[in-house]
Amino acid sequence: MVTGGATGIGRAIALKLADKGASVMIADINEEAAEKTAAEVRDISGNSATFVTDVTNVAACEGLAQATIENLGSADFLVNNAGVAGSAGWQSRSHSTEEDWKQTYQVNVIGMSNVTSVFKPQMTKRRSGRIVNLASIAGREGRPSLAHYSASKAAVISLTQSTALELARFNITVNAICPGLLWTPMWEQVGDRYAHDNPAFKGMNPREVFDSMIAERIPMQKEQTPEDIADTVAFFVSDDAKNITGQALNVDGGFFMR
Amino acid sequence: MDFEGKTAVVTGGARGIGRGIALELAQRGSNVVIADMDGDAARDVVAEIKAGGTQSYFCETDVTQQWSTDDMVETALEEFGQLDVLVNNAGVGGAEGFKTRKTPSVDDWQSTFDVNVFGIVNGTQSVESYMVDRGYGKIVNIASIAGRGGRPGFATYGASKAAAINVSQAWAYKLAPHGVNVNTVCPGLIWTPLWESIGEWRSSTDQQSSGLTPRQIFQRTVAESVPLGREQTVEDVGKAVAFLASDRARSITGQALNVDGGIRQN
Repeated sequence: MVTGGATGIGRAIALKLADKGASVMIADINEEAAEKTAAEVRDISGNSATFVTDVTNVAACEGLAQATIENLGSADFLVNNAGVAGSAGWQSRSHSTEEDWKQTYQVNVIGMSNVTSVFKPQMTKRRSGRIVNLASIAGREGRPSLAHYSASKAAVISLTQSTALELARFNITVNAICPGLLWTPMWEQVGDRYAHDNPAFKGMNPREVFDSMIAERIPMQKEQTPEDIADTVAFFVSDDAKNITGQALNVDGGFFMR
Repeated sequence: MDFEGKTAVVTGGARGIGRGIALELAQRGSNVVIADMDGDAARDVVAEIKAGGTQSYFCETDVTQQWSTDDMVETALEEFGQLDVLVNNAGVGGAEGFKTRKTPSVDDWQSTFDVNVFGIVNGTQSVESYMVDRGYGKIVNIASIAGRGGRPGFATYGASKAAAINVSQAWAYKLAPHGVNVNTVCPGLIWTPLWESIGEWRSSTDQQSSGLTPRQIFQRTVAESVPLGREQTVEDVGKAVAFLASDRARSITGQALNVDGGIRQN
């Protein structure tokens, strides 16, 4: 089950798990895109379903857990990928508003906790399960900009650790992935904001901001891709990682070394 | 398979975790050079790998000597024509007789740093120019969760493993622009000859552990400290190394991954 599985990183994760043979439940607020990705999954592994889900809504999450069981059976793997960078219009503001703080926490942290809670019983009952949470390198260290986003992703890492300790006795592993710099619709907006906020990027278009960040901050001198993240998710949910839990792994070309 | 037609060198590959790594890489298609001081044990691993269908070769290696790791890399290139993966795994718990000393001696400090830190530095220095010229290479270093934070007692080992994580980061930065990934695996509690020595050390130096066998001390430590409630295995480490050494981890460098059942979070 992949939240935010319709587009971007979530879609790449859904397709990768399908490629390894999994049936995939796509939970997303965008029904049309979710259906499109589900059709792609069906072409690969044969089985997929969608459920329109707002992760901030507990009743919707309960519906999602039920729909997963009914359509595909109880979930072996849960990938908490849904996330936002702020409330509507965040990309054109130079300061975090109260709404930005609320929205990032509501989706990135509380939404993750909501989804995890409703899937827990399916996994604890069988005494096996894998949960992978998508954090961000922004959660590894404070930044001068987008404080609300960085703080919410730091909270995701912390939530991952707590959940790992809580569920270890049920043979459930819980790990986080911290993606580095990926050219996604979200980063396009981040680039837009940096061009306004930061004198170093003045006059640049979002892609130029992105490219200059890669050149300055990524030791491997390459952007990361949704496939990079999907490959790491596939590792964490595989038997190869059965004794790894409570870890956050940076997939970032060496941006942060831990 | 991830390593079909590729060549890996595993230092300390004759026993324990190194053997587990060598067998895992071989199972995934790799030819493997076993670089070790113990020829008898190494030749057993070589035979086991060959029986599995890939090639293997023993190279007598002392990782504390640069000339010896130079020879190790040259041997791998002569035997197999290419070198894709270097696993710097060789490690020690202290100098000869460390398991009977309550307080580490100067020799224990020297020995852990010579093997656990300079061993990585030497191996990496021997291979880096080849990998940089080729624009491709994977280096995986084996540290320990002991390197994630200081503990009373085994300070020599822990400090050397913290240094191992740090030198991995240094070379990850240096080699990143050249298509070479450098990562570290931090194993948790694994029943190996090294842990048996640690058990003996505890049983002779720690009052709470006296009268217990090393295996009993190990099991008690697992029960007390591993959230997943079970010991880790050399296969677990082999699989984590196989992931980090594969192209699936192409965008991961400079990271240290704990394979420890959740003992230490990162």
